[in-house]
Amino acid sequence: MKFTIYQESRIGTRALNQDRVAYCYSRDALLLLVADGMGGHAHGEVAAQVAVNAIATFFQQEAKPNLPDPMFFLSAALEAAHQAIHEEAARQGLSDSPRTTCVVCVVQHDVAYWAHVGDSRFYLIRDGRVLSQTRDHSLVQTLVDSGSITAEQARQHPARNRIFSCLGGTQTPQIDFSRKTPLRDGDQLVLCTDGVWGPLETDLCAQIAHTNVMTSVPRMLDEAERRAGKSSDNLSIIAINWEDDEVQALTCNSDMPTMPMDVYTMPPANSTQAVNKLSDDEIEEAIEEIRNSIRLSTFTRNQEDT
Amino acid sequence: MTTTQINHALPPGFQLDRYRIERQISLGGFSIVYLAYDDNETPVAIKEYLPNTLALRAEGAILPEIRDEHRAAFNHGLKCFFEEGRALARLNHPNVVRVLNFFRANATVYMVMQYEEGHTLREHVMKKTGKVSENFMRIVFSRLLNGLREVHTQRILHLDIKPSNIYLRTDGNPVLLDFGASRQALENDAPSLRPTYTPGFAAPEQYEAQDTLGPWTDIYAIGATMYACLAHSSPPASNQRVENDTLVPAARRWQGKYSEQLLGTIDWCMQIDRQKRPMSVFALQKNLMDPPGGKQAARRVRDKTQS
Repeated sequence: MKFTIYQESRIGTRALNQDRVAYCYSRDALLLLVADGMGGHAHGEVAAQVAVNAIATFFQQEAKPNLPDPMFFLSAALEAAHQAIHEEAARQGLSDSPRTTCVVCVVQHDVAYWAHVGDSRFYLIRDGRVLSQTRDHSLVQTLVDSGSITAEQARQHPARNRIFSCLGGTQTPQIDFSRKTPLRDGDQLVLCTDGVWGPLETDLCAQIAHTNVMTSVPRMLDEAERRAGKSSDNLSIIAINWEDDEVQALTCNSDMPTMPMDVYTMPPANSTQAVNKLSDDEIEEAIEEIRNSIRLSTFTRNQEDT
Repeated sequence: MTTTQINHALPPGFQLDRYRIERQISLGGFSIVYLAYDDNETPVAIKEYLPNTLALRAEGAILPEIRDEHRAAFNHGLKCFFEEGRALARLNHPNVVRVLNFFRANATVYMVMQYEEGHTLREHVMKKTGKVSENFMRIVFSRLLNGLREVHTQRILHLDIKPSNIYLRTDGNPVLLDFGASRQALENDAPSLRPTYTPGFAAPEQYEAQDTLGPWTDIYAIGATMYACLAHSSPPASNQRVENDTLVPAARRWQGKYSEQLLGTIDWCMQIDRQKRPMSVFALQKNLMDPPGGKQAARRVRDKTQS
C-alpha cells in the first residue's frame, strides 16, 4: 500500500470550525473521513467530533490488519457514529441532538469503498477526470436529478445548504454506498466539505488532476477561500495520490522503500539545521531571560502609570 | 509514503499552567494561538510553538510527538520562538502587542500575550464597501508607526507587516502583532527555520541576502499595507516587480481620490530600490502627520495620533 496524503481543515471566515477530518491505517487498510458539523443546529462540532472518534476507534478495533468486510464496516461504522452522537447529546443534556454530515472511504488490497451521509463529497479522479463522485443528500441535488433546475441554478439556489440525511438527527440516516472500485496507479481520492467543493464546483477536478496533492491541495484551498470571499464556510479536505506498488518498483529504485504502515513520516527536516543543539539548561535559561525582560518592562510600565 | 498532519489543538477547558483554554483562535504552520483565561478570568492570547512539520499532536493527545530526527530542527525553531519572545518582552508600547508571560509545558513552550478586543486591519478593510478615508489612513498609520519606531529603536525588525498582522482595537488604536518573523538587526544569528515572508508585502531584499535587511524593509511593508487598504487586495509580489513591474503607482491609480502627498508617500515606501525609500520610520511619519491643507489639518491628525 503506497500513497501520498494531504489533509487540512480551515476555518474560513466563520467564528467556529465545525469540520473534522481524520485518517488512519493498518498494514492492509486505510480509512479516510471528513465530517461537517451542521451549523443550523447547536453543537455541530460536537457531532462531527463524536462521529470522527467513533469511526476511527471502530476502525482500529476491526482492522487487524484487514477488515473482514469493508462494506459492512462502513455501514456499521456510520450507524455506530449516529448512535454515539445521540449518546453524547444525552450525556451533555442537549435538548436538540447535534448533527453532522459524514463521508468515509476505506481502501484495502487496492480496492476502494466509500459511503456518505449529507453533502460532504467523495471524488475519484482518474486520467484527469472524475471517474466517480457521491451525490449529495440535498434538496438541490434532488431538484437537479429530477430536471427541475440546472446545475448552474443549484449553485445559486437559496436552499442549497439544506440536506435531508445526516448523522445525529431524529431520523435514521440514509446512507449511500459505492461499488467496490479497484484503484489504479495515479488515481486520486478526495473527500471534502461543501466549503471546498462549493466555491470550486466544476474546477475541483482540474485543479487536482495530475498533480501532487501535497502542493495542489493547499493552493486549491486558497482559491476556494478567495472565491468565497467574505462568507467562506469552513473548508476541510483529505486527498491522496494512490501509487501502485509494482509500478513504483519499476520506476523507482530501492532508495524509496515503502514505509512500515504504523509510522508517520514527515517531510525531511532541513539537513543544514542538524547541527543545532539546544540543551534543557539552555531552554530554561532562555525562558528565564524572557521572563526577566517581561518583569522589567512591566515594572517600567507601572512606574510610568503612577 | 509522505504524510502531512495538521496538528490538533488543545481541547477547550484544558488547564495549561495557570490558564484555562477557551478555544483556538488561529492555526499557523508554526504555532497555534488560543484564547484562554487566567486565574483572574482575564482573557489572554496564548501562542503555542508547534511546527506542524516537526511536531505531531494526534487527535485527543496533549503531548506532541517529536521524532528524534526532527529534534534538531524543532530546537532550531524553538530558538526563533525565543527570539520573538525576547523581542516582544523588551517592548513596552501601546501600539505593540504586549507579552505577559512565557513558560514551558507539554514538551514545548508558550507565549502569553494580552488579548485584544477588535479585528484585524485586513478584516476592517475587507468588510468596508466604500473607500477608506484619507483621515483613517493617516491616523491609523501614524499611530502604528509610533509602535514601529519603538520596535526599531530596540534594534528589532518586524519583517512580516501586513494587514492581517495589524489589529484595530475597538477604540480604533492599532496594535502590531505577530513578531514570528522578527529578527534582531545587526545580529548575525543562525538562519531561521524558514524565512517567512508574505508575497505582496515582503520587500525585494527579503527574497535575497539577509544582510541587506533594515528599517527600510519594514517600511516597504508599511507602504504595501497602505496600498492594500486602498486597493482592497494585495499588491503584486516584490520579487515579480523586480522582473516586470506591474504595480500601478498609487499616485496614478487613485489620482484625485486622495491627496497627492498621501499617495506619493505610499509610492515612496514601495520603491524597489531600498535606498530610494524613506530611510527611517520617523521620516515617513512626518509625512503622514503633515497633511496638505495647512496647520489646522495637521493639528487634527496630530491630536488624534497622540490620543
